Amino acid sequence: MSLAANFRTFFFLNRSILYWLVLGPFRKQPLRISAVFQQMVRIGVQAFPMTALTSLSIGLTLAMQGAHELARMGATAYVPDLVAMTILRELGPLLVGVVVIGRSGSAVTAELGTMKVGEEIEALEVMSINPVRFLVVPRFLAMMVMLPVLTVFGNYIGLAGGWLICHFSLDMSTAAYIQRLMEAAQPDDLFTGIIKSIVFAWLIILISCQAGLGVSGGAEGVGQATTSSVVTSILAMLVANAVLTAIFFIT
Amino acid sequence: MPDTVIEVRDLVRKFGTRTVLNGISFSVNKGDTVIIMGGSGCGKSTLLRHIIGAMKPTSGSIRLFGEEITTMPQIQLEKLRLRFGMNFQFGALLQSLTVGENVALPIIENSRVDPGIVDLIVKMKLELVGLTGFEHLKPAEISGGMRKRVGLARAVAMDPELLFSDEPTSGLDPIMTAVIDQLTLDLTQKLDMTAVVVSHDMTSAFRIGTKMIVLGAGKRAGTIIAQGTPDEIRNHPDPEVQQFIKGEPDGPVPLKLSPEDYIDRLLDLPGQKEND
Repeated sequence: MSLAANFRTFFFLNRSILYWLVLGPFRKQPLRISAVFQQMVRIGVQAFPMTALTSLSIGLTLAMQGAHELARMGATAYVPDLVAMTILRELGPLLVGVVVIGRSGSAVTAELGTMKVGEEIEALEVMSINPVRFLVVPRFLAMMVMLPVLTVFGNYIGLAGGWLICHFSLDMSTAAYIQRLMEAAQPDDLFTGIIKSIVFAWLIILISCQAGLGVSGGAEGVGQATTSSVVTSILAMLVANAVLTAIFFIT
Repeated sequence: MPDTVIEVRDLVRKFGTRTVLNGISFSVNKGDTVIIMGGSGCGKSTLLRHIIGAMKPTSGSIRLFGEEITTMPQIQLEKLRLRFGMNFQFGALLQSLTVGENVALPIIENSRVDPGIVDLIVKMKLELVGLTGFEHLKPAEISGGMRKRVGLARAVAMDPELLFSDEPTSGLDPIMTAVIDQLTLDLTQKLDMTAVVVSHDMTSAFRIGTKMIVLGAGKRAGTIIAQGTPDEIRNHPDPEVQQFIKGEPDGPVPLKLSPEDYIDRLLDLPGQKEND
Protein backbone atom coordinates (compact mmCIF):
# COMPACT_ATOMS: atom_id res chain seq x y z
CA MET A 1 0.00 0.00 0.00
CA SER A 2 1.24 3.48 -0.77
CA LEU A 3 2.15 5.90 1.99
CA ALA A 4 -0.80 8.17 1.19
CA ALA A 5 -3.23 5.25 1.32
CA ASN A 6 -1.74 4.21 4.67
CA PHE A 7 -2.28 7.67 6.12
CA ARG A 8 -5.83 7.66 4.81
CA THR A 9 -6.56 4.32 6.48
CA PHE A 10 -4.92 5.63 9.65
CA PHE A 11 -7.25 8.62 9.61
CA PHE A 12 -10.33 6.49 8.98
CA LEU A 13 -9.42 4.09 11.78
CA ASN A 14 -9.08 7.06 14.15
CA ARG A 15 -12.43 8.39 13.08
CA SER A 16 -14.08 5.05 13.47
CA ILE A 17 -12.66 4.53 16.97
CA LEU A 18 -13.86 7.98 17.97
CA TYR A 19 -17.29 7.22 16.51
CA TRP A 20 -17.69 4.02 18.50
CA LEU A 21 -16.38 5.60 21.70
CA VAL A 22 -18.72 8.57 21.52
CA LEU A 23 -21.79 7.36 19.63
CA GLY A 24 -21.56 3.58 20.15
CA PRO A 25 -23.49 3.61 23.45
CA PHE A 26 -26.41 5.32 21.71
CA ARG A 27 -26.59 2.68 19.00
CA LYS A 28 -27.44 -0.16 21.38
CA GLN A 29 -24.05 -1.70 20.85
CA PRO A 30 -22.16 -0.42 23.86
CA LEU A 31 -18.60 -1.16 24.66
CA ARG A 32 -18.06 -4.19 26.82
CA ILE A 33 -16.03 -3.21 29.85
CA SER A 34 -15.01 -6.82 30.49
CA ALA A 35 -13.25 -6.91 27.11
CA VAL A 36 -11.35 -3.73 27.98
CA PHE A 37 -10.12 -5.22 31.26
CA GLN A 38 -9.18 -8.45 29.55
CA GLN A 39 -7.03 -6.49 27.08
CA MET A 40 -5.57 -4.38 29.90
CA VAL A 41 -4.28 -7.57 31.49
CA ARG A 42 -2.85 -8.85 28.21
CA ILE A 43 -1.38 -5.58 26.97
CA GLY A 44 -0.34 -4.06 30.27
CA VAL A 45 -0.17 -6.33 33.30
CA GLN A 46 1.60 -9.14 31.50
CA ALA A 47 4.14 -6.71 30.06
CA PHE A 48 5.04 -5.43 33.52
CA PRO A 49 7.91 -7.84 34.37
CA MET A 50 9.67 -7.02 31.10
CA THR A 51 9.26 -3.25 31.45
CA ALA A 52 10.43 -3.50 35.07
CA LEU A 53 13.61 -5.34 34.11
CA THR A 54 14.33 -2.93 31.24
CA SER A 55 13.84 0.14 33.42
CA LEU A 56 15.93 -1.30 36.26
CA SER A 57 18.84 -2.08 33.99
CA ILE A 58 18.67 1.38 32.39
CA GLY A 59 18.60 3.05 35.83
CA LEU A 60 21.66 1.03 36.85
CA THR A 61 23.53 1.77 33.63
CA LEU A 62 22.81 5.49 33.75
CA ALA A 63 24.00 5.75 37.33
CA MET A 64 27.16 3.74 36.61
CA GLN A 65 28.05 5.81 33.53
CA GLY A 66 27.17 9.05 35.33
CA ALA A 67 29.20 8.13 38.38
CA HIS A 68 32.18 7.26 36.24
CA GLU A 69 32.19 10.57 34.35
CA LEU A 70 31.12 12.85 37.20
CA ALA A 71 33.72 11.32 39.55
CA ARG A 72 36.47 12.94 37.48
CA MET A 73 35.06 16.34 38.42
CA GLY A 74 34.26 15.28 41.94
CA ALA A 75 30.57 15.79 41.24
CA THR A 76 29.15 12.36 42.05
CA ALA A 77 26.53 14.14 44.17
CA TYR A 78 24.80 15.01 40.91
CA VAL A 79 24.31 11.40 39.77
CA PRO A 80 20.68 11.39 41.03
CA ASP A 81 19.99 14.52 38.94
CA LEU A 82 21.27 12.80 35.84
CA VAL A 83 19.30 9.62 36.46
CA ALA A 84 16.07 11.47 37.29
CA MET A 85 16.16 13.82 34.30
CA THR A 86 17.08 11.18 31.76
CA ILE A 87 14.58 8.61 32.96
CA LEU A 88 11.60 10.85 33.66
CA ARG A 89 11.91 12.96 30.53
CA GLU A 90 13.24 10.60 27.88
CA LEU A 91 14.27 7.03 28.50
CA GLY A 92 11.42 5.95 30.79
CA PRO A 93 8.58 6.52 28.30
CA LEU A 94 10.72 5.50 25.34
CA LEU A 95 12.00 2.19 26.67
CA VAL A 96 8.66 1.16 28.12
CA GLY A 97 7.23 2.01 24.69
CA VAL A 98 9.79 -0.20 22.95
CA VAL A 99 9.06 -3.13 25.25
CA VAL A 100 5.29 -2.73 24.80
CA ILE A 101 5.68 -2.52 21.01
CA GLY A 102 7.75 -5.70 20.96
CA ARG A 103 5.54 -7.57 23.33
CA SER A 104 1.99 -6.24 23.03
CA GLY A 105 1.85 -4.32 19.76
CA SER A 106 3.18 -7.26 17.79
CA ALA A 107 0.76 -9.59 19.58
CA VAL A 108 -2.18 -7.36 18.62
CA THR A 109 -1.11 -7.31 14.96
CA ALA A 110 -0.56 -11.06 14.86
CA GLU A 111 -3.89 -11.77 16.55
CA LEU A 112 -5.96 -9.45 14.35
CA GLY A 113 -4.06 -10.65 11.27
CA THR A 114 -4.78 -14.28 12.05
CA MET A 115 -8.44 -13.40 12.57
CA LYS A 116 -8.49 -11.63 9.20
CA VAL A 117 -6.92 -14.61 7.43
CA GLY A 118 -9.29 -17.05 9.18
CA GLU A 119 -12.37 -15.13 7.93
CA GLU A 120 -13.21 -14.26 11.55
CA ILE A 121 -13.37 -10.52 10.80
CA GLU A 122 -15.71 -11.18 7.88
CA ALA A 123 -17.84 -13.42 10.08
CA LEU A 124 -18.15 -10.60 12.63
CA GLU A 125 -19.25 -8.20 9.90
CA VAL A 126 -21.88 -10.61 8.65
CA MET A 127 -23.19 -10.92 12.22
CA SER A 128 -23.59 -7.10 12.28
CA ILE A 129 -20.78 -6.84 14.83
CA ASN A 130 -18.52 -3.99 13.82
CA PRO A 131 -14.91 -5.23 14.05
CA VAL A 132 -13.64 -1.81 15.11
CA ARG A 133 -16.07 -1.66 18.00
CA PHE A 134 -15.63 -5.29 18.97
CA LEU A 135 -11.87 -5.73 18.51
CA VAL A 136 -10.10 -2.40 18.13
CA VAL A 137 -11.79 -0.16 20.71
CA PRO A 138 -11.09 -2.42 23.75
CA ARG A 139 -7.44 -2.72 22.71
CA PHE A 140 -7.26 1.03 22.13
CA LEU A 141 -8.61 1.89 25.57
CA ALA A 142 -6.44 -0.73 27.25
CA MET A 143 -3.31 0.62 25.61
CA MET A 144 -4.19 4.27 26.33
CA VAL A 145 -4.54 3.44 30.03
CA MET A 146 -1.82 0.85 30.49
CA LEU A 147 1.15 2.43 28.69
CA PRO A 148 1.17 5.57 30.90
CA VAL A 149 0.69 3.33 33.96
CA LEU A 150 3.59 1.11 32.91
CA THR A 151 5.64 4.25 32.27
CA VAL A 152 5.05 5.53 35.81
CA PHE A 153 6.03 2.14 37.24
CA GLY A 154 9.02 2.04 34.90
CA ASN A 155 10.12 5.49 36.12
CA TYR A 156 10.04 4.36 39.74
CA ILE A 157 11.95 1.22 39.01
CA GLY A 158 14.54 3.11 36.96
CA LEU A 159 15.04 5.53 39.83
CA ALA A 160 15.39 2.56 42.18
CA GLY A 161 18.11 1.26 39.85
CA GLY A 162 19.92 4.58 40.23
CA TRP A 163 19.57 4.30 43.99
CA LEU A 164 21.22 0.85 43.98
CA ILE A 165 24.41 2.31 42.46
CA CYS A 166 24.37 5.53 44.49
CA HIS A 167 23.79 3.71 47.75
CA PHE A 168 26.07 0.71 47.40
CA SER A 169 28.78 2.11 45.17
CA LEU A 170 28.89 5.85 45.95
CA ASP A 171 28.01 5.49 49.65
CA MET A 172 25.16 7.95 49.35
CA SER A 173 22.48 7.56 52.03
CA THR A 174 18.96 6.70 50.90
CA ALA A 175 17.66 9.94 52.39
CA ALA A 176 20.26 11.97 50.53
CA TYR A 177 19.41 10.21 47.26
CA ILE A 178 15.71 10.92 47.65
CA GLN A 179 16.32 14.49 48.70
CA ARG A 180 18.58 15.07 45.71
CA LEU A 181 15.89 13.60 43.43
CA MET A 182 13.25 15.89 44.90
CA GLU A 183 15.42 18.91 44.33
CA ALA A 184 16.44 17.96 40.81
CA ALA A 185 13.17 16.70 39.30
CA GLN A 186 10.11 18.89 38.94
CA PRO A 187 6.57 17.56 38.60
CA ASP A 188 6.68 18.82 35.02
CA ASP A 189 9.43 16.32 34.22
CA LEU A 190 7.12 13.50 35.22
CA PHE A 191 4.10 14.99 33.45
CA THR A 192 5.90 15.52 30.14
CA GLY A 193 6.98 11.88 30.28
CA ILE A 194 3.40 10.78 30.85
CA ILE A 195 2.09 12.98 28.05
CA LYS A 196 4.70 11.42 25.78
CA SER A 197 3.60 7.94 26.77
CA ILE A 198 -0.03 8.80 25.98
CA VAL A 199 0.98 9.90 22.49
CA PHE A 200 3.10 6.75 22.11
CA ALA A 201 0.16 4.58 23.21
CA TRP A 202 -2.05 6.15 20.56
CA LEU A 203 0.55 5.61 17.83
CA ILE A 204 1.41 2.04 18.86
CA ILE A 205 -2.13 0.71 19.09
CA LEU A 206 -3.34 2.44 15.92
CA ILE A 207 -0.38 1.19 13.88
CA SER A 208 -0.68 -2.34 15.31
CA CYS A 209 -4.42 -2.58 14.68
CA GLN A 210 -4.15 -1.10 11.20
CA ALA A 211 -1.42 -3.56 10.25
CA GLY A 212 -3.43 -6.47 11.66
CA LEU A 213 -6.70 -5.58 9.94
CA GLY A 214 -4.88 -5.00 6.65
CA VAL A 215 -3.34 -8.48 6.44
CA SER A 216 -3.77 -10.42 3.23
CA GLY A 217 -2.16 -13.59 2.00
CA GLY A 218 -2.15 -16.21 4.73
CA ALA A 219 0.46 -16.97 7.37
CA GLU A 220 3.19 -15.19 5.43
CA GLY A 221 1.07 -12.03 5.35
CA VAL A 222 0.60 -12.18 9.14
CA GLY A 223 4.38 -12.42 9.59
CA GLN A 224 5.06 -9.49 7.28
CA ALA A 225 2.38 -7.36 8.90
CA THR A 226 3.79 -8.08 12.37
CA THR A 227 7.30 -7.10 11.32
CA SER A 228 6.10 -3.94 9.62
CA SER A 229 3.91 -2.97 12.57
CA VAL A 230 6.88 -3.26 14.98
CA VAL A 231 9.22 -1.31 12.70
CA THR A 232 6.65 1.39 11.91
CA SER A 233 5.65 1.75 15.57
CA ILE A 234 9.24 2.20 16.72
CA LEU A 235 10.01 4.74 14.00
CA ALA A 236 6.80 6.67 14.62
CA MET A 237 7.49 6.67 18.35
CA LEU A 238 11.05 7.96 17.96
CA VAL A 239 9.97 10.73 15.60
CA ALA A 240 7.09 11.69 17.90
CA ASN A 241 9.52 11.72 20.84
CA ALA A 242 11.84 14.15 19.07
CA VAL A 243 8.91 16.41 18.18
CA LEU A 244 7.51 16.34 21.72
CA THR A 245 10.90 17.01 23.28
CA ALA A 246 11.25 20.01 20.97
CA ILE A 247 7.83 21.27 22.00
CA PHE A 248 8.29 20.75 25.75
CA PHE A 249 11.91 21.78 26.32
CA ILE A 250 12.96 24.09 23.49
CA THR A 251 10.07 26.52 23.31
CA MET B 1 -47.68 -14.46 -5.39
CA PRO B 2 -44.47 -15.50 -3.67
CA ASP B 3 -42.20 -12.91 -2.07
CA THR B 4 -38.87 -12.40 -3.77
CA VAL B 5 -36.15 -12.47 -1.13
CA ILE B 6 -33.08 -12.16 -3.33
CA GLU B 7 -32.96 -10.58 -6.73
CA VAL B 8 -29.68 -10.38 -8.61
CA ARG B 9 -29.57 -8.52 -11.94
CA ASP B 10 -26.66 -8.46 -14.42
CA LEU B 11 -24.03 -8.81 -11.72
CA VAL B 12 -20.50 -8.23 -13.05
CA ARG B 13 -17.35 -8.33 -10.96
CA LYS B 14 -13.85 -7.83 -12.30
CA PHE B 15 -10.58 -8.33 -10.44
CA GLY B 16 -8.15 -6.28 -12.49
CA THR B 17 -8.57 -7.55 -16.04
CA ARG B 18 -10.11 -10.86 -15.04
CA THR B 19 -13.89 -11.12 -15.04
CA VAL B 20 -14.96 -13.46 -12.26
CA LEU B 21 -18.70 -12.86 -12.44
CA ASN B 22 -20.11 -12.01 -15.82
CA GLY B 23 -23.76 -11.05 -16.02
CA ILE B 24 -25.31 -13.17 -13.26
CA SER B 25 -29.09 -12.84 -12.94
CA PHE B 26 -31.43 -14.87 -10.77
CA SER B 27 -34.07 -14.48 -8.11
CA VAL B 28 -34.96 -16.47 -5.02
CA ASN B 29 -38.42 -16.72 -3.48
CA LYS B 30 -39.26 -17.04 0.18
CA GLY B 31 -38.96 -20.63 1.40
CA ASP B 32 -36.74 -21.72 -1.48
CA THR B 33 -33.53 -23.64 -1.02
CA VAL B 34 -31.21 -22.57 -3.79
CA ILE B 35 -28.15 -24.64 -4.55
CA ILE B 36 -25.30 -22.85 -6.29
CA MET B 37 -23.11 -25.38 -8.08
CA GLY B 38 -20.06 -25.21 -10.28
CA GLY B 39 -16.45 -26.31 -10.47
CA SER B 40 -13.78 -25.02 -8.14
CA GLY B 41 -12.79 -21.44 -8.83
CA CYS B 42 -15.85 -20.65 -10.95
CA GLY B 43 -16.90 -17.78 -8.69
CA LYS B 44 -19.39 -19.45 -6.32
CA SER B 45 -17.89 -18.04 -3.14
CA THR B 46 -17.38 -14.65 -4.80
CA LEU B 47 -21.06 -14.60 -5.76
CA LEU B 48 -22.03 -15.43 -2.17
CA ARG B 49 -19.78 -12.66 -0.82
CA HIS B 50 -21.52 -10.18 -3.11
CA ILE B 51 -24.95 -11.22 -1.96
CA ILE B 52 -24.04 -10.74 1.71
CA GLY B 53 -22.59 -7.32 0.87
CA ALA B 54 -18.99 -8.18 1.77
CA MET B 55 -17.88 -7.28 -1.75
CA LYS B 56 -19.14 -4.57 -4.06
CA PRO B 57 -19.85 -5.49 -7.70
CA THR B 58 -18.29 -3.72 -10.67
CA SER B 59 -21.79 -3.27 -12.06
CA GLY B 60 -25.25 -4.74 -11.65
CA SER B 61 -27.81 -4.79 -8.87
CA ILE B 62 -28.49 -7.00 -5.86
CA ARG B 63 -31.73 -6.64 -3.91
CA LEU B 64 -32.30 -8.35 -0.58
CA PHE B 65 -35.84 -8.21 0.84
CA GLY B 66 -36.54 -5.65 -1.90
CA GLU B 67 -33.71 -3.32 -0.84
CA GLU B 68 -30.78 -2.50 -3.07
CA ILE B 69 -27.62 -3.40 -1.13
CA THR B 70 -24.90 -2.38 -3.59
CA THR B 71 -25.37 1.31 -2.83
CA MET B 72 -26.63 0.93 0.72
CA PRO B 73 -24.79 2.79 3.53
CA GLN B 74 -22.93 0.61 6.02
CA ILE B 75 -25.29 1.32 8.91
CA GLN B 76 -28.34 0.17 6.98
CA LEU B 77 -26.47 -2.87 5.71
CA GLU B 78 -25.64 -3.82 9.31
CA LYS B 79 -29.34 -3.66 10.19
CA LEU B 80 -30.23 -5.79 7.17
CA ARG B 81 -27.62 -8.36 8.13
CA LEU B 82 -29.50 -9.05 11.36
CA ARG B 83 -32.07 -10.79 9.16
CA PHE B 84 -29.65 -13.30 7.74
CA GLY B 85 -27.12 -15.84 8.91
CA MET B 86 -23.99 -17.00 7.18
CA ASN B 87 -22.31 -20.35 7.60
CA PHE B 88 -18.70 -20.06 6.43
CA GLN B 89 -16.85 -22.80 4.59
CA PHE B 90 -14.42 -23.41 7.44
CA GLY B 91 -16.69 -22.23 10.23
CA ALA B 92 -14.86 -18.92 10.79
CA LEU B 93 -15.29 -19.30 14.54
CA LEU B 94 -13.58 -16.86 16.84
CA GLN B 95 -10.60 -18.83 18.12
CA SER B 96 -10.40 -16.89 21.37
CA LEU B 97 -13.94 -17.82 22.42
CA THR B 98 -15.38 -21.20 23.36
CA VAL B 99 -17.92 -23.01 21.19
CA GLY B 100 -20.76 -21.83 23.41
CA GLU B 101 -19.56 -18.22 23.42
CA ASN B 102 -19.28 -18.31 19.63
CA VAL B 103 -22.91 -19.35 19.26
CA ALA B 104 -23.98 -16.83 21.91
CA LEU B 105 -22.03 -13.98 20.31
CA PRO B 106 -24.59 -12.72 17.76
CA ILE B 107 -27.37 -12.94 20.37
CA ILE B 108 -25.44 -11.05 23.07
CA GLU B 109 -24.16 -8.38 20.71
CA ASN B 110 -27.36 -7.73 18.80
CA SER B 111 -30.07 -8.07 21.41
CA ARG B 112 -30.71 -7.60 25.10
CA VAL B 113 -31.65 -11.11 26.06
CA ASP B 114 -31.19 -12.29 29.64
CA PRO B 115 -27.97 -14.36 30.05
CA GLY B 116 -30.01 -17.34 31.30
CA ILE B 117 -32.09 -17.32 28.13
CA VAL B 118 -28.95 -16.98 26.01
CA ASP B 119 -27.56 -20.16 27.62
CA LEU B 120 -30.79 -21.94 26.79
CA ILE B 121 -30.75 -20.76 23.16
CA VAL B 122 -27.10 -21.83 22.80
CA LYS B 123 -27.94 -25.31 24.14
CA MET B 124 -30.88 -25.59 21.74
CA LYS B 125 -28.84 -24.51 18.72
CA LEU B 126 -25.98 -26.87 19.56
CA GLU B 127 -28.49 -29.69 20.06
CA LEU B 128 -29.75 -29.02 16.51
CA VAL B 129 -26.31 -29.76 15.07
CA GLY B 130 -25.61 -32.65 17.44
CA LEU B 131 -22.96 -30.94 19.55
CA THR B 132 -24.50 -30.82 23.02
CA GLY B 133 -21.83 -30.89 25.70
CA PHE B 134 -19.13 -29.24 23.62
CA GLU B 135 -19.92 -25.69 24.82
CA HIS B 136 -16.76 -25.30 26.86
CA LEU B 137 -14.22 -26.39 24.27
CA LYS B 138 -12.23 -23.97 22.14
CA PRO B 139 -12.57 -24.21 18.33
CA ALA B 140 -8.96 -25.45 18.16
CA GLU B 141 -9.91 -28.47 20.29
CA ILE B 142 -12.62 -29.83 17.99
CA SER B 143 -12.46 -31.30 14.49
CA GLY B 144 -13.01 -29.43 11.23
CA GLY B 145 -16.41 -30.99 10.68
CA MET B 146 -17.48 -30.05 14.19
CA ARG B 147 -16.31 -26.47 13.68
CA LYS B 148 -18.43 -26.34 10.59
CA ARG B 149 -21.49 -27.49 12.52
CA VAL B 150 -20.82 -24.90 15.23
CA GLY B 151 -20.67 -22.36 12.40
CA LEU B 152 -24.13 -23.49 11.29
CA ALA B 153 -25.45 -23.28 14.86
CA ARG B 154 -24.09 -19.74 15.09
CA ALA B 155 -25.60 -18.82 11.71
CA VAL B 156 -29.09 -19.86 12.87
CA ALA B 157 -28.67 -18.48 16.42
CA MET B 158 -30.67 -15.35 15.64
CA ASP B 159 -33.38 -17.34 13.79
CA PRO B 160 -32.61 -15.64 10.47
CA GLU B 161 -35.04 -15.34 7.59
CA LEU B 162 -32.26 -16.06 5.17
CA LEU B 163 -29.43 -18.56 5.58
CA PHE B 164 -26.27 -18.64 3.48
CA SER B 165 -24.18 -21.78 3.61
CA ASP B 166 -20.80 -22.19 1.97
CA GLU B 167 -20.28 -25.93 1.42
CA PRO B 168 -22.00 -26.97 4.65
CA THR B 169 -21.49 -30.71 4.15
CA SER B 170 -18.02 -31.05 2.67
CA GLY B 171 -15.76 -32.93 5.06
CA LEU B 172 -18.65 -34.38 7.06
CA ASP B 173 -19.41 -38.10 7.37
CA PRO B 174 -22.52 -39.39 5.50
CA ILE B 175 -24.66 -39.54 8.63
CA MET B 176 -23.79 -35.99 9.69
CA THR B 177 -24.36 -34.83 6.08
CA ALA B 178 -27.87 -36.29 6.27
CA VAL B 179 -28.44 -34.61 9.65
CA ILE B 180 -27.38 -31.21 8.33
CA ASP B 181 -29.51 -31.69 5.20
CA GLN B 182 -32.51 -32.62 7.33
CA LEU B 183 -31.87 -29.55 9.48
CA THR B 184 -31.82 -27.29 6.43
CA LEU B 185 -35.01 -28.91 5.16
CA ASP B 186 -36.73 -28.49 8.53
CA LEU B 187 -35.73 -24.85 8.77
CA THR B 188 -36.93 -24.00 5.29
CA GLN B 189 -40.13 -26.07 5.31
CA LYS B 190 -41.30 -25.51 8.87
CA LEU B 191 -40.02 -22.01 9.58
CA ASP B 192 -40.30 -20.73 6.02
CA MET B 193 -36.64 -19.78 6.03
CA THR B 194 -34.89 -19.20 2.72
CA ALA B 195 -31.55 -20.91 2.17
CA VAL B 196 -28.76 -20.32 -0.31
CA VAL B 197 -26.32 -23.21 -0.30
CA VAL B 198 -23.06 -23.49 -2.21
CA SER B 199 -22.36 -27.19 -2.66
CA HIS B 200 -20.32 -29.76 -4.52
CA ASP B 201 -22.15 -32.64 -2.94
CA MET B 202 -24.70 -33.85 -5.55
CA THR B 203 -26.55 -36.25 -3.23
CA SER B 204 -27.05 -33.53 -0.68
CA ALA B 205 -27.88 -30.91 -3.35
CA PHE B 206 -30.68 -32.97 -4.87
CA ARG B 207 -31.95 -33.89 -1.39
CA ILE B 208 -32.49 -30.32 -0.18
CA GLY B 209 -32.60 -28.11 -3.27
CA THR B 210 -35.82 -26.63 -4.64
CA LYS B 211 -33.93 -24.55 -7.17
CA MET B 212 -30.48 -24.94 -8.67
CA ILE B 213 -28.01 -22.66 -10.34
CA VAL B 214 -25.01 -24.05 -12.23
CA LEU B 215 -22.07 -21.78 -12.94
CA GLY B 216 -19.93 -22.58 -15.97
CA ALA B 217 -16.26 -23.43 -16.28
CA GLY B 218 -13.56 -22.55 -18.80
CA LYS B 219 -14.81 -20.12 -21.45
CA ARG B 220 -18.17 -19.80 -19.76
CA ALA B 221 -16.73 -19.12 -16.28
CA GLY B 222 -18.65 -16.54 -14.30
CA THR B 223 -21.94 -17.07 -16.10
CA ILE B 224 -24.99 -19.13 -15.25
CA ILE B 225 -25.19 -22.06 -17.69
CA ALA B 226 -28.31 -23.60 -16.22
CA GLN B 227 -30.93 -22.81 -13.61
CA GLY B 228 -34.20 -24.42 -12.63
CA THR B 229 -35.79 -27.05 -10.42
CA PRO B 230 -33.79 -30.21 -9.54
CA ASP B 231 -35.72 -32.16 -12.20
CA GLU B 232 -34.98 -29.58 -14.88
CA ILE B 233 -31.29 -29.68 -13.98
CA ARG B 234 -31.22 -33.48 -13.92
CA ASN B 235 -32.60 -33.54 -17.46
CA HIS B 236 -30.74 -30.48 -18.69
CA PRO B 237 -29.49 -30.85 -22.28
CA ASP B 238 -26.21 -29.00 -21.70
CA PRO B 239 -23.42 -31.61 -21.68
CA GLU B 240 -21.37 -29.61 -19.18
CA VAL B 241 -24.25 -29.69 -16.67
CA GLN B 242 -24.59 -33.42 -17.21
CA GLN B 243 -20.87 -33.94 -16.73
CA PHE B 244 -21.00 -31.95 -13.51
CA ILE B 245 -23.96 -33.66 -11.87
CA LYS B 246 -22.80 -37.13 -12.89
CA GLY B 247 -19.23 -36.39 -11.86
CA GLU B 248 -17.50 -37.64 -15.02
CA PRO B 249 -13.80 -36.90 -15.41
CA ASP B 250 -13.92 -36.10 -19.10
CA GLY B 251 -16.45 -34.17 -21.18
CA PRO B 252 -16.96 -30.54 -22.14
CA VAL B 253 -14.66 -29.69 -19.23
CA PRO B 254 -11.63 -31.57 -20.56
CA LEU B 255 -9.47 -33.92 -18.53
CA LYS B 256 -6.55 -33.46 -20.86
CA LEU B 257 -5.85 -30.52 -23.08
CA SER B 258 -5.32 -30.95 -26.80
CA PRO B 259 -1.60 -30.87 -27.75
CA GLU B 260 -1.93 -27.34 -29.19
CA ASP B 261 -3.64 -25.99 -26.05
CA TYR B 262 -1.04 -27.70 -23.89
CA ILE B 263 1.83 -26.07 -25.76
CA ASP B 264 0.02 -22.73 -25.62
CA ARG B 265 -0.43 -22.96 -21.88
CA LEU B 266 3.16 -24.03 -21.26
CA LEU B 267 4.53 -21.16 -23.29
CA ASP B 268 2.08 -18.67 -21.85
CA LEU B 269 3.62 -15.31 -21.00
CA PRO B 270 3.95 -14.72 -17.27
CA GLY B 271 2.28 -11.31 -17.69
CA GLN B 272 -0.99 -13.01 -18.58
CA LYS B 273 -0.99 -15.05 -15.40
CA GLU B 274 -4.26 -14.79 -13.55
CA ASN B 275 -4.42 -13.68 -9.99
CA ASP B 276 -7.20 -13.17 -7.49
